[in-house]
Amino acid sequence: MDRRIRIMLVALVACFIVLFVQLNNLQVRQASSLDNSQYQPPAQGVINPNALPRGDIVTSDGKIIAESGPIQAGDSYGPKRIYPYGSLYTDITGYFDVVDTNSTGLENEYNAYLVKHQATAHSLSGLLTEQSGTGTVATTINSKLQEVAAAALAPYSNGSVVAIDPATGAILAMYGKPTFDPNLLAQHSQKAVLKYFNSLNPSSSSSPLVNAPVGRTYNPGSTFKVVTTAGIFDHDPSIETQIFPQQTSLKIPQTPQLLHNFGGERCGGALAEILAASCDTAYAKIGLELGANALVSEAGNFGFNRTPPIDLPSYEVATPCFPPLESNPYAASACYPKSVVLANPVIPIGPGNQPFVAYSAIGQGNVTESALQDALIAATIGDGGVMMTPHLMSAIVNSQGQVVSIYKPTPYLTSTSQGTADSVRNLMLGVAAGGTASGLFPPSLNVAAKTGTAETGLSGCSSTWLIATAPAGPTQTPKIAVAAVVPAAAGIGCSETGAAVAGPIVAKIIDAYLLPSAATHG
Amino acid sequence: MGIGKQQISTTVSIVMGSLTGLLMNARRRSEFGLLVVGAIVVLFGYILLSIAISGKLPSRTPIFFAGAVVAIVAIQVVNRRFVPDADPILLPVALLLNGLGYIMISRLDPHAAGQQLGWTVIGLGIYALVIARIRRVTDLERFRYILLLLAMFLLISPLLPVVGENINGARLWVHFHSLEFQPIEVAKILLVIFFASYFIEKRELLTIPTRRVGNHLFPDLRAFSPIAVAAALSLVIILGEHDVGFSLLLFVVFLSMLWVTTGRWTHLAIGLVLFALGTFIASHLLGQVHERFAVWLNPWKTESSTGYQPVMGLLAFGRGGIAGTGLGLGNPTSIPYNTSDFIFAGFGEELGLFGVTSIVVAYMLICASGMRIALRARSEFAKLCAIGLVATIGFQAFFIMAGVVRLVPLSGVTLPFVSYGGSSLVANYALIGLLMRISDEANRPDEDQFDAPEWLITEGDTVIGTTGR
Repeated sequence: MDRRIRIMLVALVACFIVLFVQLNNLQVRQASSLDNSQYQPPAQGVINPNALPRGDIVTSDGKIIAESGPIQAGDSYGPKRIYPYGSLYTDITGYFDVVDTNSTGLENEYNAYLVKHQATAHSLSGLLTEQSGTGTVATTINSKLQEVAAAALAPYSNGSVVAIDPATGAILAMYGKPTFDPNLLAQHSQKAVLKYFNSLNPSSSSSPLVNAPVGRTYNPGSTFKVVTTAGIFDHDPSIETQIFPQQTSLKIPQTPQLLHNFGGERCGGALAEILAASCDTAYAKIGLELGANALVSEAGNFGFNRTPPIDLPSYEVATPCFPPLESNPYAASACYPKSVVLANPVIPIGPGNQPFVAYSAIGQGNVTESALQDALIAATIGDGGVMMTPHLMSAIVNSQGQVVSIYKPTPYLTSTSQGTADSVRNLMLGVAAGGTASGLFPPSLNVAAKTGTAETGLSGCSSTWLIATAPAGPTQTPKIAVAAVVPAAAGIGCSETGAAVAGPIVAKIIDAYLLPSAATHG
Repeated sequence: MGIGKQQISTTVSIVMGSLTGLLMNARRRSEFGLLVVGAIVVLFGYILLSIAISGKLPSRTPIFFAGAVVAIVAIQVVNRRFVPDADPILLPVALLLNGLGYIMISRLDPHAAGQQLGWTVIGLGIYALVIARIRRVTDLERFRYILLLLAMFLLISPLLPVVGENINGARLWVHFHSLEFQPIEVAKILLVIFFASYFIEKRELLTIPTRRVGNHLFPDLRAFSPIAVAAALSLVIILGEHDVGFSLLLFVVFLSMLWVTTGRWTHLAIGLVLFALGTFIASHLLGQVHERFAVWLNPWKTESSTGYQPVMGLLAFGRGGIAGTGLGLGNPTSIPYNTSDFIFAGFGEELGLFGVTSIVVAYMLICASGMRIALRARSEFAKLCAIGLVATIGFQAFFIMAGVVRLVPLSGVTLPFVSYGGSSLVANYALIGLLMRISDEANRPDEDQFDAPEWLITEGDTVIGTTGR
């Protein structure tokens, strides 16, 4: 019996040795592959970094637009994230939802700085002492302009405004509608957050969750004539001196349809006159004369078919689209994944795609862009043909008050030459002085502007645009470029023009920025 | 004035004599040392855990310390009184495992930790009761059929309508008011005692071949009936209570004891064939068994459903690596049932390969001590009883640890002394008590034998009969 007892012990010990071998297999041989497995559950370590106080987001004039509230005892989600101005800065800050670990906007883009993180050691003693803290993100936003923009858009249910410093690409104001209150998505109750989130129709394309100024695109309409005009100087300067016939409509090759001027107006004349009057027949003719290649190339130089590199999560930013006129404008591309045709009426294709070229030259058809993109075009004209990279962050300061990161303005695209930009700027001065935008701006400000009234096919209603840059006198350096768009929607008279709807919005912002006294009077 | 100098000095010498007698006991002295070392390990773990989680010393450190001192003193007093010559390793190792388990439970579920502490006290009380009431191993032999009936009753009690309760698909629990109890933990001990006495009595019948089949001799077919009974019992547990783990454990323990008694490999072979057959049938009849096999073969395939728990366990071992994340610094809350079946994975993460190896070594120490007790035991019954008890604890620990690391299919038994669970803790302390009793009897100095009551007639080691008293 004793022999068998010893055998039993050997058997049990053998079992444990096999177990030990398997433990070595798991914890030594496979340790790193298991540790890096995609199935690893999210870390629930002692510290949940998301539940710690986050850094502030502030405007360029020092107003806190996102901050962490006081620490509440027993709240495992930590201090509440507070957006003191409600929905005013939603398009900039985005929201931070600690319950579901969701975030958008700058909350997402600069999360690594906003959360409590290990500070980089700046000295030898810094290496030895643990230094951690949150960073404060300072934005380029001017709170006064932001408030003016929101007030100007107040009468409308949809629309966007973007104001940029042409020389640096700094976003001065950015506001869009519809919008939402980020405080309600930062609540510490999953149920309450979900209820509000679902009330925002998250799956709908018209959801307020879309960051309107950068994420919603519309036909630019006549504001695109700025790009077409630049194309004249860059590709066929002979057009500059042409005198265009006075017409109410234009016969386009390859289609029986006639291209009519807005409101059936008769227009024509020299380049300065046709831009000031926003003459569609003349610009369609210019487009046909420039040809598909020149238009596509010019649009590409002005940033079409590429996503503006603004410091927001890339999924929030829409790509401005210009159709591939050289080949098949209906072909699916990155910009038109489903070959969507926005053109109304449907445009036939033929050699050279002449009808498409004509409509594209006046910003109709499949040309689409966001308010941000149109503001960048205005800024590029103001900045001598160089498109600066748009940005919202100006500096990041750590908890010790040291500047961790400072934004250095960098060119995004060289859209055109200084000469072309200045020529177009001069022509745009005429739009404000005696053209479709006349009477909107104080003459002393020397505003260069362009209106846009894009037909949308929505029972004859139009998206109304206005882009402007100022001061744009021949010896002046423009300090601001603004784009405003109010899309066709119920409540806006369908015969309204860009000058009537979007014009006053832009005017209020430019006045507030360049005439400090005007702002103090409201 | 009544007490003279003479009397005082006599009293003093008696007290001193008994004190030195106590201190002179080498086994109890080593046990004392081991208990102190174990307590220091557990206390340090407890403090480190608190520092890792809250950055502060645990507020209850003095109470914890005082509790450890009281426990060590009480254990020493009880052991010196009732089992002075028993093995010195078993109880300190069991307490160390209990302490480590407590630390892990308190890290994962503070409420359960409080209960576990209460159950530890009750378990030690039961241990004291076992060594105090069962003064001789033969006492167990006398009541074997009563023990069998009790075991049977305990086994079927979860199936009774009023007290039985389903938890997680297995019907293994009985509850009285708020007290839940897993009767199979106690039944396993009673069954071991019964089998031991039954096998010793029927040893010859089970061993000596009497029946000729062709050219081979086999033991009487009747001898195999207990195997059939045990197999049937296991099947009943599987089918009636859906408990794969314990039915496997009971069957393995039963086979081990049968083999140690008879030394016949045919018994082992037939038993294994029967078990394979039983498993095959069970896996077809029961979704749960089938599922456990499928998950064992590839847990990653059903990572989000049935394979979730084993996968979370494996990932925890990966996170731990060689040295572990440190107590309180890992992520073991991601593992389901992390205080019971999967507590071993929590150790794998926070104490690493070093920590889990220590736990494996602790069980090896228990097994080795138990086998040494069996080798030294004075009667065949005591030997077999010790083997059965050691095999119970050893295989139970192996099955669940091997299941968690995917060496064998997951069986869902508790890790003795470590897992959260009152019935498991109490039953295993009672088991240790029985081993201590057998050990004490084996190591008792020879003159003790002359103290044997006159009604007990012994011949060598084996009890051959008793006279009426």
